[in-house]
Amino acid sequence: MGGRLKIALLLTPALVVIGVLFAGGLVVAFVQSLGYVPAIGMTDLTLNAYREILSDEDFFDSLVLTLYVSGVSTGVATVLAVVAALALRRSSGRVSAVVFQLPITIPHLVAAVGIALIVGQTGLGARLAALLGLVGEPGDFPALLYDEYSVGIILTYVWKEVPFIALVVLASLRGVASELEDVARTLGAGAWQRFWYVVFPVISPSVVAASLLVFAFTFGAFEVPYLLGKSYPTILPVMAYNEYRDIDLSARPTAMAINVLIALITGAVAALYLRLARNLGRRG
Amino acid sequence: MSARLELENVCHRYGGDEPALENLSLAVEPGELVALLGPSGCGKTTALKVVAGLLRPTAGDVRVGGLSVVGTPPERREAAMVFQKPLLFPHMSVAQNVGFGLRMRGTRKEEAGRRAEEALRRVQMDGFAGRSPEELSGGQQQRVALARALVTEPRLLLLDEPFSALDANLREEMRELVLRLQREGGHTTVFVTHDQEEAVILAGRIALIFDGRLQMYDRPEAFYDRPATREVARFFGATNFIEGLAKNGSAHTPLGDLKLGRPAPPGALTLTIRPEAVRLEGGENSFRARVISASYLGTQVHYELQTAGTALRAALPPHVRLAVGDEVTARLPAESLWVLK
Repeated sequence: MGGRLKIALLLTPALVVIGVLFAGGLVVAFVQSLGYVPAIGMTDLTLNAYREILSDEDFFDSLVLTLYVSGVSTGVATVLAVVAALALRRSSGRVSAVVFQLPITIPHLVAAVGIALIVGQTGLGARLAALLGLVGEPGDFPALLYDEYSVGIILTYVWKEVPFIALVVLASLRGVASELEDVARTLGAGAWQRFWYVVFPVISPSVVAASLLVFAFTFGAFEVPYLLGKSYPTILPVMAYNEYRDIDLSARPTAMAINVLIALITGAVAALYLRLARNLGRRG
Repeated sequence: MSARLELENVCHRYGGDEPALENLSLAVEPGELVALLGPSGCGKTTALKVVAGLLRPTAGDVRVGGLSVVGTPPERREAAMVFQKPLLFPHMSVAQNVGFGLRMRGTRKEEAGRRAEEALRRVQMDGFAGRSPEELSGGQQQRVALARALVTEPRLLLLDEPFSALDANLREEMRELVLRLQREGGHTTVFVTHDQEEAVILAGRIALIFDGRLQMYDRPEAFYDRPATREVARFFGATNFIEGLAKNGSAHTPLGDLKLGRPAPPGALTLTIRPEAVRLEGGENSFRARVISASYLGTQVHYELQTAGTALRAALPPHVRLAVGDEVTARLPAESLWVLK
């Protein structure tokens, strides 16, 4: 019992911060989404904000765009990360440390600016392409920022999240997966058979867990789409931000309702992740 | 079918974490069980991995059935290996684990399932086919790993300390199982262990390896009766070493002139004798000694005897009761004295 109390006490500072800032914020957001904003005299609890959002085509355009960006970013990052991890697993720790850990330390904001400088129509990539004669002049370079397919946003996410997924996968590849692969080899399994029947099933829980985290993050993240996204439709967090900044304070419940819906969706993904993580733990 | 295995001057160097091997040469006859024995880090597991193909020798040749396999990847060597850990595939049932090798060779599902069940019966794990590996105890998992290796009817069966993680009772049970399976199946088997007792019980021949070098390769009893060197003798529990000078079929030692069973080349030599071979009687090669310690071991009593210039250990039946301080006459029978190289 004493041990448990000690753990609880040690966790308290972290829990207070999380509790006040995160849970507190969530509660305030939820209450405001129900139309309770006493500062401007709104005190009746209603579901009007939700009703309004769910009947608004703009919201669904944003939802589809958000799912598209998160889904494509996560999918592309996952595939590239698994391939990279497989390629790097026999190399020394130092190579993978440099290749992978460097991008992880760079903030998303900086990464977004960096990508913009490289792939923008006045950027390095466009000028290089013009120089090599691939396009007539830099302005003919395909629009990859503020564009219909959100290429700039996806590129930024892929660049940032590949290392994260790859490091998680690498850890499980270097652990029991390589020993199981040796067993499979002596039992007569060729390279593809080993990958398909042994390595992939063994690493897949960690692949899924890591990519779910990436999905949840990209679904709720604001800064990259804000910098690199087109103005309509916007990604959900950007839409919420725009409603929040509306000079008409009565738009506040709408902003908060969008936030609550984002939280619900990422919460569902997180719950899925926890279940997978538990299964993974049981196996290990 | 089981095959003859030959290692010829196999070397393994610059291998990162792997201990080195220096010119290892030995042959295992078809159906024979050979133990690679030695202290940890001596290179015995390296040797096994070279045979399996998981490591490439830096020099030398490995032949299976007379043909070199150095260029053959492990998956085409038909050398099934059982590791220290069971390493069952966690996402497959017990039956799928056992059937894995057959499925990889293209055996149909029903056939693989049937043969997996049969293999599970042979390791007394029938009834566990549908279980998941995590539901099994360590010993059960290792039985399944054994079945998984045997079901493919490998040309070579390679066992890398498969029981070292199990407790003593279970280990004994598993040894009997391996002996029975090996007799029934007639697999050419190489068994790595650091446990001298395990090697003696299981193996037809033992290859003793120190520091990547083969010290002695012979039947188990030879390691007790005719050890090649002092180190080999010591590894097998010998403690009696007598320095002397050979001349005319006997040795001049601090115990007096000892008659030898076999002639030795003239010059300095070291003699050894098993504690069980020391007799308490007069006659040829006898001398006076004083008991300086006694330890009772149930079926035997171990005595330390102090004589002129040296101490000897004697293991005697418990009905011979000697007390510390007793003066006795001890004899070293000539036929039990062995000259070390």
